[in-house]
Amino acid sequence: MRIIFTATGPDWDALIDPRFGRTDYILLYDEEKDELSSIDNREIMEVAHGAGPKTAQKIHELNPDVLITGNGPGGNAASILGQMKIKIYIKAGGKSIRDAYNSFKNNELILGG
Amino acid sequence: MKEIVIISGKGGTGKSSICAALADLLQEDLVVADCDVDAADLHLILSPQASSSEDFYSGLIASIDPDKCINCGICKTACRFDAIELINDQHIVSGLDCEGCGYCYHVCPQEAISLEEQKVGQFMISETRFGCDLVHAHLGIGADNSGKLVAKVKSIAKDHGKKLNKNLLLVDGSPGIGCPVISSLSGADYVIYVTEASLSGLSDLQRVHELVAKFQVPGACIVNKADINPTVADKIHRFLTREKILHVGDIPYSEDFPKAISMGRTLIEENSEWWTPVFTKIWQAIKEKI
Repeated sequence: MRIIFTATGPDWDALIDPRFGRTDYILLYDEEKDELSSIDNREIMEVAHGAGPKTAQKIHELNPDVLITGNGPGGNAASILGQMKIKIYIKAGGKSIRDAYNSFKNNELILGG
Repeated sequence: MKEIVIISGKGGTGKSSICAALADLLQEDLVVADCDVDAADLHLILSPQASSSEDFYSGLIASIDPDKCINCGICKTACRFDAIELINDQHIVSGLDCEGCGYCYHVCPQEAISLEEQKVGQFMISETRFGCDLVHAHLGIGADNSGKLVAKVKSIAKDHGKKLNKNLLLVDGSPGIGCPVISSLSGADYVIYVTEASLSGLSDLQRVHELVAKFQVPGACIVNKADINPTVADKIHRFLTREKILHVGDIPYSEDFPKAISMGRTLIEENSEWWTPVFTKIWQAIKEKI
């Protein structure tokens, strides 16, 4: 399974960024390969409008199965993610990536989107 | 640090007056961010003393190099915003009309047009007389608020609050449901809706709540001018119950709002005896939820 996290940093110790569109980093954990990779999304700070759809586009290209985030995507981003077969878990803001992943494995996260 | 955003949907409901009153009530353990950047008015009440400021750039603006321009007029025909004028036989860009779309830049056969980052205003971190600091922005003429600007104001305010070990960030959001509002909600822990007992107050509350619900942020609501239309006030109360929004108080119409803001005072400074208990009660109810 390919799991995406919105994150404040590039590794397991980073926190879940509660923001979707303007998240600082996008992390991808590939369970099969046991590999965590990160995309620096901070260029989004320079985007005046439409941050949500832009981040959704990036996530779409990573072809994930699961998204773990905080507040959840807004309307425009949600309609893009709605085109994909992706499960969105919300309200994980402030947890470390490791904790959020463990909570996901234990079915403790809230399904949103 | 908890992040509380005050929004209204409709403008003119008393959102900023209530934000200032809460800042006055809470005094020290918070940072206030004015994210209603294109109609900023918190500074009128909090009279901040800027301690640091930084320029803010957003969006592009086209500029024509007269040395390369052959005045063929292709740019003028292409521009959808009528932003290119012919003055004294030279094509120039009108800064106020240019939207920075770049159409002219791409069609110019002489490569005489460049797109430059536009300085649109300044951010400031300021001290207030209440012990809490205010992060706010000052936009230049014709400049627009944006999700980018709101995100920046919030991120400066958060960093500043963390540095000072504050527990609360109080954000005065902008009216409407557009990009700046979405950006102010992103990352928020709690929302305070300020509405008024009018049909547009109710309608805009419903619209903005629809947006907040997408972000799954819980909230409480203050109904201002609740006595001006009891029928609508009643409809608002039922809406709050149905949507599980905590109703933290009705405020009757009061001349103190315009009077206080025109004198540069908070409601509490205007009439402490009346307003301190009102806002203490409201804050107690909200505090339990965050």
